[in-house]
Amino acid sequence: MLDLTIALAKGRLADQAIDLLEAAGTDCRVVREMSRKLILTDEQAGLRFILAKPADVPTYVDYGAADIGIVGKDTLLEENRSLYEVLDLGFGTCRMCVCGPEDLAGRLDSIPNKRVATKYPNIARAYFEARRESVEIIRLNGSVELAPLVGLAEVIVDIVESGRTLRENGLAVLDTIASLSARMVVNRVSMKMKADRINPLIQSVRRQLEQAGRTTP
Amino acid sequence: MGQWQFHTPVGVADLLPRACAAKRQVEQRLRDVFSQRGYLEIETPGIEFYDVYAAGSDTVPQEGLFKFFDEQGRILCLRYDGTVPAARVAATLCREKPLPLRLAYIGNMYRYNEYGGGKQREFGQAGIELMGSGAPEADAEVIATAIEAALAVGINDLQVSIGQVGFFHGLLAEWQIGGEDAALLPQLIDSKQQVALDELAERLRLPARARSVMRLMSQGLGSETELDELAALVRHPQALAALENLRAVLKILDDYQVRSFISVDLGMLQSLNYYTGVIFKGFTYGLGFPLFSGGRYDGLVQNFGRDLAATGFSMGTSLALAALQRQGKKTGAWSLPVRLGYMTGQRKEALQAAAVLRRDGLAVSCDPISSVSAWLAQHPEGPLLLVNATGETVWLREADKDA
Repeated sequence: MLDLTIALAKGRLADQAIDLLEAAGTDCRVVREMSRKLILTDEQAGLRFILAKPADVPTYVDYGAADIGIVGKDTLLEENRSLYEVLDLGFGTCRMCVCGPEDLAGRLDSIPNKRVATKYPNIARAYFEARRESVEIIRLNGSVELAPLVGLAEVIVDIVESGRTLRENGLAVLDTIASLSARMVVNRVSMKMKADRINPLIQSVRRQLEQAGRTTP
Repeated sequence: MGQWQFHTPVGVADLLPRACAAKRQVEQRLRDVFSQRGYLEIETPGIEFYDVYAAGSDTVPQEGLFKFFDEQGRILCLRYDGTVPAARVAATLCREKPLPLRLAYIGNMYRYNEYGGGKQREFGQAGIELMGSGAPEADAEVIATAIEAALAVGINDLQVSIGQVGFFHGLLAEWQIGGEDAALLPQLIDSKQQVALDELAERLRLPARARSVMRLMSQGLGSETELDELAALVRHPQALAALENLRAVLKILDDYQVRSFISVDLGMLQSLNYYTGVIFKGFTYGLGFPLFSGGRYDGLVQNFGRDLAATGFSMGTSLALAALQRQGKKTGAWSLPVRLGYMTGQRKEALQAAAVLRRDGLAVSCDPISSVSAWLAQHPEGPLLLVNATGETVWLREADKDA
């Protein structure tokens, strides 16, 4: 039996992914054991889990270092790798939005060469390129909402969950770029070479999702 | 002075003797497979005019090309692939040659790699182009040659997926999808995004049978009988003709006795503007990427002034080597050459002895030495032959016989 390697995005997403995989009948005990190891192997089941930084999960899967990855759509959009995106897992839902001062609503394109602050430079660039607007991307690593407040940027591109942080800082959603949630991705070669192992896994997770009513069949 | 004199640029690497020998051996095996099937090797320049690639295909992204200028200010670029230059050759220098034209190439290609890095910017590729035939026999011949090529370099665990892009073009026409959706739909099918596909179908109010078609495409066909199932769900003549063509190619591949490697995947929809018919990809263990890929590109050669149907494939030679290594397979015989050392005054005898050994097929290098023990200590590995002070030849370490 060929080993299957699953890359999980460290953090909350990994916990939810493990819950889902277990509910779908995959033995995840090795991951549950508290450990600081980065690779967890269950030799009997022929399973390997690797715990990676979310932004690195698509890379591991793209190069075939992992066969399967579970990671947020935001990361997939930002990394833009050529992967199979086989399942929407339904958890970790939020939106990728363009945000800024409320008075910019509806007249975003009136500002030439806007400065856009973001943790997601590729998503931001692709969005404005599609609108044929030239922008200057300013890459930040956190608290992006600060940028328009101190005049570092006109708008930001960031994840919006409840919108509370935005409101408290006098900002509004100007446009939604994409709806986000956790996805299961598969390496293109693994899908062909390890179909006997991967397809049943996808099917059982899909059944589990349908039972839980989290996605349309 | 600069600080980079110890380094090679990003994405390129030195090949040391063992790896270099292994690569040459892979190349030689591919060369044999191609030439045995009547493909004539050509070598196109490492430098082309940018216009060649700009005219050749809109699938070559301009940011992927290494560009510079000639003395007249014209834009030049490094060879990005083997197919576009071969198309240029077929339409110009070879335009009087009888058809079909069978060309092969083996060489290094240069690409600024995709976002994310880690991929080589200089990499070996070997491939063939069969130009001047639109028949399914030509498609099948190229696919069978690709499989033979993989087997010849020692890759037996091989799966080949075959698709037909004409089927998708027929669907677009049948469902009357245009504009941005016509660009989005193939991406969603190709990356198997079922949920997004359902949403798109909903928004475009596609009929139920269209959704079944998209599902069959994105999930891949389990068996050939599903081709009939698919054919029953579509009406457009282009889509039906594409399925008919695919069936014909599969039937010929039966005659080549390579069907065991092949599965149908109509969801492969990359480079839709470039390919025009049957496309295929070859996969093996240990690689995250396809080992080879190819397909029919009937529109390319006419960009160079000659209307020629054409199909071909290319295989990464470095990729093939990486796959062999990761699968724990031998990458060709390797042995150190014989070192012949001679004591003072024995040069003539040594050179004669070396010439005799070379006639027997051994690789021999000659060096003058002053101390046998120091020479032995200096070369802990490989065969050593001494011509001593009295002119006798003595093996201090024998040459490997099975090498």
